Amino acid sequence: MNLVLLGHTWRSQRLKVAIVAGGLLGWGFLMPIIYSQFGVQFKQLFDSGIIPKQFAQFGEGDVFSLSGAIGLGFIHPIAITLSSVFAVGFAAGAIAGERQRGTLEVLLARPISRRQLHATLLVATLLFIAIAIAAILVGAAAGAAAFGVLHEIDVSRLPILWLDGVLLYAAIASIGLAASASFDRLSPALGVTIGFTIVSYFLEILGSLWPDASWLQPYSLFHYLRPKELLSGTIDLFGPALMLAVAVAGVAWAVIVFPRRDLAAPS
Amino acid sequence: MSNIVTDGLGKRYGRTVVALEDLTIDVRPGEIFGFLGPNGAGKSTTIRLLLGFLHPTAGQATVLGMDTERESVQIRSRVGYLPGGIALYDSLSGEDLLDYLADLYGRTAPSRGDLLDRFEFSERDLRRPVRDYSRGMRQKIGIVQALQHDPELAILDEPTEGLDPLMQRAFYGILEDLRARGRTIFISSHVLSEVERVCDRVAIIRQGRLATLQDVGALLARRKRNVEMRLAGPAPVLDGVPGVSGVSANDGLLTCQLEGDVRPFLRAIASAPITDLTIEPAHLEEAFLEFYADELGLTAGRDGASRAGQVAASSELPASADTQSATPVGAATASDADQEADR
Repeated sequence: MNLVLLGHTWRSQRLKVAIVAGGLLGWGFLMPIIYSQFGVQFKQLFDSGIIPKQFAQFGEGDVFSLSGAIGLGFIHPIAITLSSVFAVGFAAGAIAGERQRGTLEVLLARPISRRQLHATLLVATLLFIAIAIAAILVGAAAGAAAFGVLHEIDVSRLPILWLDGVLLYAAIASIGLAASASFDRLSPALGVTIGFTIVSYFLEILGSLWPDASWLQPYSLFHYLRPKELLSGTIDLFGPALMLAVAVAGVAWAVIVFPRRDLAAPS
Repeated sequence: MSNIVTDGLGKRYGRTVVALEDLTIDVRPGEIFGFLGPNGAGKSTTIRLLLGFLHPTAGQATVLGMDTERESVQIRSRVGYLPGGIALYDSLSGEDLLDYLADLYGRTAPSRGDLLDRFEFSERDLRRPVRDYSRGMRQKIGIVQALQHDPELAILDEPTEGLDPLMQRAFYGILEDLRARGRTIFISSHVLSEVERVCDRVAIIRQGRLATLQDVGALLARRKRNVEMRLAGPAPVLDGVPGVSGVSANDGLLTCQLEGDVRPFLRAIASAPITDLTIEPAHLEEAFLEFYADELGLTAGRDGASRAGQVAASSELPASADTQSATPVGAATASDADQEADR
C-alpha cells in the first residue's frame, strides 16, 4: 500500500464521503422514527388485508419492529444507491477512470507496482464503505435513542451488523475494482459492476415480494445481509463467509490480471 | 555499462500485428539519445516496454542495469518520464500536482525551482488549477514533473510538443545542463531538427524496426549539399565531376547535389559565368531520406531531395502511410499495431 496515494485519494474524495455519510446518517435516523410513529398503523393496515402480506417484507426489512426498520433502511434503494457511490462508482472508476483520463501512466511512472496501486485503492474503498455503513448505523441508533426505542435492540450487536454491511459492499467493491483493473475504459468497468449489483438486488427483492421466486434469493449477495436476524441474536456464518469469498475472488482476479495486462498508449 | 540496453526486443499483438520487432539498441551514460521515427513507428511502444507498461513478446531490455520485466518498480524510482500528450490531474493546482508527484517518489525535488524559473512559471501560475493551463503550460509542467527529482535517466516522449520557440530553447538549455551533469536522456521525437540540435546519437525506427543507430554527426555527414547557381551564360559541364549528382539546368538556373570533396566541383565551375551561387548543407531530414532512398525505392538524387524538401517544409518525419506505398511490407504496419494496442 502507498500512503501518499491513499492520502491523495482521501483528499480527492472527502467531500463526497461527507455528503454520502450525511445522507446515510439522515436516512438511518429516519427509520426508527417511521417505526416508532407509524409502525402500529402499518401493522393494522397489513393485518386488515388491504395490502397483500408479501409486501410486508421488503428484502428482510419491515416497519413492525426496530430491528426490521433498521433492516429496511439497509436494503432500501436509497441506502443501496448511497452506499454504491463508493462500492460501485468509486471502485469501478478507480483504475479504469485513471486509465481513460491518461493519468494512470503518470502514476505508474512512479515507483508504485500495479499490485500496490490496487491494494491502496482497495483500502481506500473499504475505508469509504466503512464510514458509509457506520453512518447509517449511527443515524439509526441516534433516531432510536431520540424516540425512546433504543432499548428494543441489543446495541452491542451493532458492530456485527456494521461488519456484515461492510462485507456486502466490500464484495461488490472488489468486483468493481477487478473490473476496473481489467478494462481501459470506465464504461465497461462501470457496466459490469452496476449490472452485477442490480441483478443481485433484483433477485433478492423479487424473491422477497413474490414467494414463487424465493428460490432466486440465495443467488443474491443482498440475501446474506441479515440486519434483523443479527440484531435479534441469530448469526449465520455462511452469509459472511460467502461475501468474504466473493471479495477475495475479486481481489485475486485483480491481483493476477492487472500486473499481466499490457497498458498501451491511451488513444 | 549502458543505461538502456535492448536485445532483440519485440512486441506483437496477436499473431499478425507487429508493433516492434527485434530492436537492439544501447544508450550510454551521459548522452542525449534521440529515438526518431514517424508517428506510429513504435517509439511509444518501446518506451512503454522500457517502463514495464507493456510486456515484451520477444527479447529483453535492461534500464540502469535492471530487467524491465522483473525490476520495473526499481527502474521507475530512478527514472523521470514524460508521457507523450501528458494527462494531468486537472483539479489540482500546479504546485499541489508537483508536490503529489514528487511525494510518490519519496524524494525531494531539488531541481524544481530551477526548472520553473527556466520555463518562466510564476508563483501565480503554480497556484492556478491545472485545468486552466494552456497546452504549452501543461507540457512545461509535464517536463518539470519528469525532471524535478533529478533522475539519473530521463525518458521524454515528444518533449517539445506544444512549446513555443522560446520555451523550446529553454528546454534545450535544460538538456545541455543535464548532459553536463552526467545525466542520460532518451528523447523520442518525430521533429528532426530537434534531434539534430540536441542529440549525440540517434536511432531511427520505422514500421516497428530499427533502421539505423548512428552518431548524429555521422548521419549528417551522409548528407549532400544542395547547390543552386544562377548563370549569365552557358552552364558548366558537370557530367562526370566526382560527387556531383542530380544536375538540372533551366532558364539560367542550375541545381545539383554535391557530396564529398568540393574541390573537383569548384574547378569545374571556375570559368562559368556565375551571377549567384548558393551551397546549402542538407538538414537531417535529407540525410534521413537519403538513408532510406534505396529502401523507399527513390532515386537518390532528385526524388530524395524532392521528398526531403517536402519533409523539410514541415520539419517532421513523414507518417508511415506516406512511405508505406513505396515500401514492400510483409508484416502488419506499426499504425495497425498501435490501433490494435489501443484496443
